[in-house]
Order: sequence, then structure tokens, then C-alpha cells
Amino acid sequence: MPNFTYRGITLSIPDNDSEYKGYFEAAAEGRLVVKKCADCGLLRGEPGPGCPWCTSINWEWQQVSGKGAIYSYQVVAHTVIPSFRDLTPFAIVLVELDEQRGQPSEHDGLRITGNLVDADFNMEAEANVGIGKRVEAVFQPVEGDHKLLQWRLIDEPAQGFTWAHAAPSA
Amino acid sequence: MAGNPRDKYCIVGVGETEYSRASGRTTRAMGAEAIRNAMHDAGLTPDQVDGMLSYHGGDSTPSTSIQYDLGIRPNFYMDCSGGGSSTEALVGLAIGAIEAGMCDVVAIFRSMNGYSNIRIGGTGARAAAPIGGPDLLKRPYGLISAVQQFSYTFTRHMAEYGVKSEDLAAIKVAHSNHASNNPKALMKHRVTVDDVMNSRWIIRPVAHLLDCCLETDNATCVIVTSADRAKDLKHKPIYVKGVQGRGTKPGGDFHYQHGPITRVAGHYVGPRVFELAGVKHEDIDLTGCYDAFTYTVLLQFEDYGWCAKGEGKDYVTSGIINLGGARPNNLSGGHLCEGYTHGMNMVIENVRQLRGTVDDYCPDAIQGEHTYDYSEGGCRQVRDAKISMNMGWGTPAVGSSLIMGNILN
Repeated sequence: MPNFTYRGITLSIPDNDSEYKGYFEAAAEGRLVVKKCADCGLLRGEPGPGCPWCTSINWEWQQVSGKGAIYSYQVVAHTVIPSFRDLTPFAIVLVELDEQRGQPSEHDGLRITGNLVDADFNMEAEANVGIGKRVEAVFQPVEGDHKLLQWRLIDEPAQGFTWAHAAPSA
Repeated sequence: MAGNPRDKYCIVGVGETEYSRASGRTTRAMGAEAIRNAMHDAGLTPDQVDGMLSYHGGDSTPSTSIQYDLGIRPNFYMDCSGGGSSTEALVGLAIGAIEAGMCDVVAIFRSMNGYSNIRIGGTGARAAAPIGGPDLLKRPYGLISAVQQFSYTFTRHMAEYGVKSEDLAAIKVAHSNHASNNPKALMKHRVTVDDVMNSRWIIRPVAHLLDCCLETDNATCVIVTSADRAKDLKHKPIYVKGVQGRGTKPGGDFHYQHGPITRVAGHYVGPRVFELAGVKHEDIDLTGCYDAFTYTVLLQFEDYGWCAKGEGKDYVTSGIINLGGARPNNLSGGHLCEGYTHGMNMVIENVRQLRGTVDDYCPDAIQGEHTYDYSEGGCRQVRDAKISMNMGWGTPAVGSSLIMGNILN
């Protein structure tokens, strides 16, 4: 898979990248995929080579709904990456997918990072980020045919535990 | 726990360079100075040091270079990849190497131009380098620095347990008070809760600027040998009662996939190190709790069992962790104020505390005579300190712990 660049960062995904290549190929088609164990059937939130629960190294890509809730987050007020400085403050969210929530044990889930963006892929206002808010996966066109997963708020009631920090007034 | 080596091994020498932001020299030059200082502190000559251990993140100089600079010929050495929480673990590995008969005296060192060259925060050229592997799912979103890598854990903690920024600031205040009595500290001035709260935000809601440690140029060294070998050395030996790590929580680098997300490695490391050391929490006189950020301190205090989960905010604001309190923490000022060393300076400080010869502003500190006047520019020696505990932090998932004492169990 050819390298591509986003905000000055070169993403290197060689053809032998057995963890991430399939993920980015699906992303380019606007699909969010995770790895599914071909033996026990459990999904995993990081696209690793083995199943954390049954040790199988047989897996296949599985498309998921792309819907979930913000599980934790951070708002970047100061960034050390020069090409992100014009975006501050911006939110990075850890989203827990609807699939396999609380499985196979109570605190487990499929948790995936991205920025919280608005309808135009601009960074969502800080006042709108919060734990428990419902989101869906959206795919931001970047260089060439590549796309980058992002998260957008959806009009559904917040889910489970909810919390937000007090955002400074703009 | 077969073969528990409790009290059979000691730290006999400690040393460091200046803590600065412009060392103007190489990690090789600084490493040589720190090891030299620790050898002199112990009363060892280069031919008596036959083991070397170091850790690095691509930013140090190998043992095999520095051995030449000091005339050391190791029978054993390893240069390990590692960051925070390596210090304690390498004390354990040094004991293992000696126990295996591979060597007798091990110098553990860490050398880093952590401000002037390769910054921990990943600033500049490092931020622009091509990425692969797990970074592919993080850095395109602006997630790079350590304060960010750990922050999902603590945002969720603040949410679930109601921690306020002011609670975290109390940790910085305590460590800055300690640093004000440390001539070596990079940041010696005392700060207030308001100073922390008014410093600029770095990552909301977890860290203002003054909640973050000080990237620093420095090298540090501790020397480990057997209790028998320690008998004819310069200082009273500081015994290793128990050492454990680097231990992890489930999931390792991907710990946030499992839970509870607010739990850190100390939950797993703590019970083991207490059992190895044969002591209880109430036996510990002072702590060294890794302060990469104020929140790493609070998280570890909870999961090492100094208070119940969720009560860390009360523990850090109670006065217990302050000099003069029941169990003061990071007496040198730690990473927040003395300088960032990947954990080494907190072990060095506790060795000096247990010797009773902390290098504060007391005129005869080096002879172990202290005023115990803890006001600014004064004493930082803990009275009658006998047992200390270090809690090293690598990530929320990675930690190590070391319990030392100047008495035998």
C-alpha cells in the first residue's frame, strides 16, 4: 500500500503490514473493520495478529456498524506537532463500539481513537465533547484515494455513564 | 516466590550529573560522570565494578563505550530498551546477574539529553518522522506525547471519582516545597495551587503545564552489590528488601481495551513487592512515586493501596505526602521539580534519605547532621527514615516497585 501524508505526517503501511494494511484498505472504501477471531469469533479492538482470549492466529476482517459512545477523551490545548497547532483546542476521543460491549468480561470493549469532528470534518467544539455521547464513524478524504476514520456526534440519547469537563469559555 | 533475596543485596553508591536544559555535551560524557560519581560515592575503583546495566529509548550511549572512558571491564552488561519503571526492575536484574555468578558489582545508569536533544514530548523532528504500526491509529489524530498517551486513563478517573485539577496541583506544591531544599533541583521555587491552576493548559482535563515534569539533560547511576561485598565500602548499605517489575496490567500497550481503564499496573505489582519485602504499608517511612505528571502519582497511590480507589484526591491533599507529613513523597522534588530522569533520581534520593545524609542546605548535611527545619532553603531530611518504597511508572499498564531499608527485617 503506498504511503500517504496527512497534516505533514507520513503514514507508512508496507504490504507486509499484517496488522494495519487491511484496516486502511477498508477505510479507503469508507468501511470500519476490526479483526474477528476465526476460531472463537470474538472481535478485538486493536488489529493484532492473535486472539487475546483463545490464542488463535486465524482471523478475518469484520465490518462493524461504526456506532458507539465516547468512553474517554482528551482535549489538546497545546500540541507538540507543528501541523496541528492551528487546530487547538481539539478533541481526541476513545470510542467504545456498540459491538461486544462488556464482552467477554465486564470492562472489555472495542475502543478506537479518532478526532471528534463536525459535518465538514472540522474539529467539533470543545463544549460538545463528553463521555457517554453517541457517535458514528465517518471517513475523511485525505491524500489520493485514502480516507481517515473520524467520529461525529449523532442525535441519540447519551449512553450509560456520562460526564464532561467544564470547557473554558471561548 | 522461591529464592527471595530479601536484604541480601544493597545499593552502595549513587551519583548524577547536574540537572540542566543545556548540557552542552554527549550522553557518553554525562554517563561517564554519573558512574564515576557513584563509584566514588561507594568507595569503589573501576576494577571493582564488573557489571553494567543501562536503559534507553535510542537516546543514550552503550555501556561498551562508557566502559572505556572509566577503565571498567564488565563481566556482564546489558543495554536495555526502556523508560520509566526500568530503574527498579534493573535493580532486580542486577541482583539476578550477581546471584547467577556473572558479576559482583553492577553500575546501573541512565543518560539522556532529554531537553536539548531528544525530548520526551516528541517535539520537532520526531513529530515529523514517518509513522507505522500502532502509531497509525493515534498520531494522525494528534495523539503523540506521554501526557496524551496516558490521559484516557485519567480523564475517565476524574469522571468516575470526581478528582479536581486543584487536587492534582497539591502534588506539585508538595514536590516544589521539597525541591526548594534541594540545591540540585532544576526548579527550586515553591509554587502554589493557584500557580498550577493559572499555568497554561496542555491537555484538558488532566494537565496544566505545571502538572507536567521537566524535560531535563542529565545522567544518573546507582550501584548494586551483595550485602557481603558492601561491608567494607564507604556508606552503610541500603538493603533491597523487595523489588518487582516491570509488571503489567492486561492488554499491555492496548490496556484501554480491557478494564477497568482507571486501574494501573501498581494493582498487580504492589501485593508482590510487599510480600517479597516482608513489610506492610505502615512500615514505610517515605515514598518515591513516579511523577511524570501529577496524575501518575495519584493513580499509583491508589493502586498500590495507600488509600482506597477513588480516594487518591484525599491522600494527596491530606498533608501525608508533604515533608513533615506521615509519609512524604519525592523528597528531591522528583520529576516535577528536580528533573526528569526516567525514575532514577527518586531511587537515588531514597538511598540518601535512608543513609541520613541528604544533600540539603543544612551546613553539615553530608555528616548526617540536619536541622529538620523544613522551611524554604532549609532541610529536607526525613527524621529516622528506615524503609522507603519506590513506585516506578512506565505507562498506565507498566510499573515497577522497590522497597529499600537501612535495617534488616
